[in-house]
Amino acid sequence: MNTLFLRTLAIVPWLLVAGCNESTDATVKVTRPNKDPYPSTYVVPNNVTFVLLHANILTGDGAELRNTDLLVSDGKIVARGTNLDLDDSVLRIDATDKWVTPGLIDVHSHMGVYSAPSTSNHSDGNEMTSPVTAEVWAEHSVWPGDPQFEKALAGGVTTVQILPGSGNLIGGRGVTLKNVPSTTVQGMKFPGAPYSLKMACGENPKRVYGSRNMLPSTRMGNMAGYRKAWIQAAEYKKSWDEYAADTRDRSLSNTPTRNLRLETLSGVLEGDIRIHNHCYKADEMAQMIDMSKEFGYKIAAFHHAVEAYKAAPLLAENGICGVMWADWWGFKQEAFDMVRENIALVDYAQACAVIHSDDPIQIQRLNQEIAKAMSAGNRMGLDITPAKAIRWGTQNAAIALGLEDEIGSLAVGKNADIVLWTKHPLSIYSHASKVWIDGALRYDRFDPSVQPTSDFNLGILEVGAIRP
Amino acid sequence: MKNFLFILFFSGVSIAVTANSLLIKNVDIYSSRGIEVNTNLLIENGQITGIGNRIAQTADREIDGTGKSITAGLFNSSTHIGAVEVSAIGATVDSYSDNDSVTASLKIAESFNPNSTLIPHNRTHGLTHALMVPDSRTHLFSGQVGLIQLGMQPRVIHDSLAIAVDFSEYGFKVSGNSRAAALVELRQALDDAKDFSRNRKAALAGDHRDYELSYADLAALEPVVNGNKPLLVRTNRASDIKNILNIALEFQLKLILMSALEGWMVADEIAAAGVPVIMDPINNLPSAYESLGARLDNAKLLSDAGVTLIFTGMGRSESHNAYLVRQSAGNAVANGLDKSKAIAAMTKNPAKLFKASVTGDIVVGGLADLVLWGGDPLELTSEAELVMIEGEIIPMKSRSLQLRDRYFDRLKQ
Repeated sequence: MNTLFLRTLAIVPWLLVAGCNESTDATVKVTRPNKDPYPSTYVVPNNVTFVLLHANILTGDGAELRNTDLLVSDGKIVARGTNLDLDDSVLRIDATDKWVTPGLIDVHSHMGVYSAPSTSNHSDGNEMTSPVTAEVWAEHSVWPGDPQFEKALAGGVTTVQILPGSGNLIGGRGVTLKNVPSTTVQGMKFPGAPYSLKMACGENPKRVYGSRNMLPSTRMGNMAGYRKAWIQAAEYKKSWDEYAADTRDRSLSNTPTRNLRLETLSGVLEGDIRIHNHCYKADEMAQMIDMSKEFGYKIAAFHHAVEAYKAAPLLAENGICGVMWADWWGFKQEAFDMVRENIALVDYAQACAVIHSDDPIQIQRLNQEIAKAMSAGNRMGLDITPAKAIRWGTQNAAIALGLEDEIGSLAVGKNADIVLWTKHPLSIYSHASKVWIDGALRYDRFDPSVQPTSDFNLGILEVGAIRP
Repeated sequence: MKNFLFILFFSGVSIAVTANSLLIKNVDIYSSRGIEVNTNLLIENGQITGIGNRIAQTADREIDGTGKSITAGLFNSSTHIGAVEVSAIGATVDSYSDNDSVTASLKIAESFNPNSTLIPHNRTHGLTHALMVPDSRTHLFSGQVGLIQLGMQPRVIHDSLAIAVDFSEYGFKVSGNSRAAALVELRQALDDAKDFSRNRKAALAGDHRDYELSYADLAALEPVVNGNKPLLVRTNRASDIKNILNIALEFQLKLILMSALEGWMVADEIAAAGVPVIMDPINNLPSAYESLGARLDNAKLLSDAGVTLIFTGMGRSESHNAYLVRQSAGNAVANGLDKSKAIAAMTKNPAKLFKASVTGDIVVGGLADLVLWGGDPLELTSEAELVMIEGEIIPMKSRSLQLRDRYFDRLKQ
């Protein structure tokens, strides 16, 4: 893909052409810190060419196609339609009267950083030792053996964004993973996926640090904390930009000192790292948007956006996704103004509406969360079809992650992340029957040999009796 | 003759109609008789007076129930409704106490707030009753379990149905980080309660030995050790469940189990003891070492063994969204549980066990405490279209719906 190619280019050292001075050196090599020091080692295990025949397809980008064939080769969707010209070697899978969707995407999960069992040794998601910890990376906490991953896979979830917690103003980098078994997190990392940075509005940071009698203890303290960080980041970025632009004196002594915290923040200012901002309330979303304009960066999404329906036009205008639950409320004051129609209303205002779980139980049934949000919208008179509603966990989620060119729909050219369901995907009685990631079968409800299980479960669950 | 009020909401416009009879036609009825397809239901003065295809009578109001279904009003059997408004704001939370001198005597129902916003929110989605179960904070004994009704005049039906005990990892933590110590503590308390019961007068006069628990706590435990009130024990690990079954046998207690994530491993023992289980069938993760065996078909396996199921759920939303017990029940069915049994676990079973003023069933002669669903009663795309609580139709009005209408109006402009 072109985007992948560009991203690969972005991580090689910059080559600068020297200015027109007396120097005869044609080029001076400027070494910037490696932007991908923990690269993905993900591989697709096999390359079966197969076709799903006569499927009912929710394409993930808003359409419903009945009795349609879907051809997969080399991990991509290569054809979609009826009466496809098929080679004899193509594996045929009958999907008559069955439903197919893209793999579901959860843009807000803490699997691996808050693994099961939820003991203190598995509490690796919140570096609450300073209000700004942009230097920490969630991937350095992820335990790939977390037995929660396989349960999400059985629910049809193929891509997850693992985020740090929300105790800090700026909590650290998130990472996007393919939901595949692996002994290393590198083996799960989505190749070329942009990094994200977790920020948090509201009650959590001010509670955590206010109780320690330090900034922030108020919402205005929150804002001061973020702004101070962005000012430092802008200065840091400037020092590297000046270093890169300065072709006269290339001695080691003037190389700026690396600062991991500011490196991530300046990555945001450069547009490489996407802001995923825990933010419940509409008024705080407006402040965060103004702040992003003050410092010149873009917000990808507001997460836990319980009041997104109050800010929906603002989200639409600024191209920010609202990432929401179907119905959670009341656990904090900032989650008091929940409406079940939140996702439907954000969609109605033509903003990017996304479902998320933030929960290892609900990630197993994002389809049900989508069904509830759709039903609430229809109850108030909106005409939301399943084809439109499924977008909240497919195309729109991919947009939030900056991966809309690769995943989130079953269009020709996209990655073959596919779920075959036992019943209509929005029915409570439905299960993921088969789940493919990049065209490789990763889960089969009816074949225990394709039901991955964590090392942790060995000797705990009986072999061959993988529990639902 | 008592009239009741219909308030119908269409796009924010309310029309009030008084009527005393209602006929729902061509509807599927889910009851203890099973599923009756495409039948009629007649309600007069808040009472079910007719079920079947032969109802010839006309009514003041008729609803076409084609494609819709009716169940009894839903119960959620482990909530804090009325004892919590905002979980993170301690001043609004009365579901536990940090006072270690108040244990079994704590009656959560005494803190019931009938004006809680959780009540209209939940009843508009079909929840008509809820069990209030206190949490432990300082002691194995959490307090006394209450039953509430979520109608237009929300009220406590019973303030002491059972005494709750936390025999889970949390309870072990507050009793010295040891299962064995927790067992000693539990036995000691039950022995003391028996002793107190036999020597009540002398004990209260100060002429008897000292007890670990207060007189109030011992008095609360008296009906438990005398076999008149159940002990409701939250516990998960199979071996812990067996220990509790043994204690119940030893002290001749009535017992209700709660949570029981590894219940399926000892399903036959639970069934043989005739002990009902309150559970959320959605939990399938090894979230703690006491629940490594958690699985989605726990409800099915317990039911197959003959255990009476009573549901709560869903997940962490069991109070604010207590109505989502329906989603938990649906998932139990998706994982093998019989549909009628799943519905009974949130209607008839709790109504009977907790001595509600309604039957938890759709039967002629019973109070109309029921929900008309837009489709299959467990599908999440089926909304509660009409809810009756103890014979009264409740208005589809809540803080959440008011917020929705306010902002939808703005977005439409």
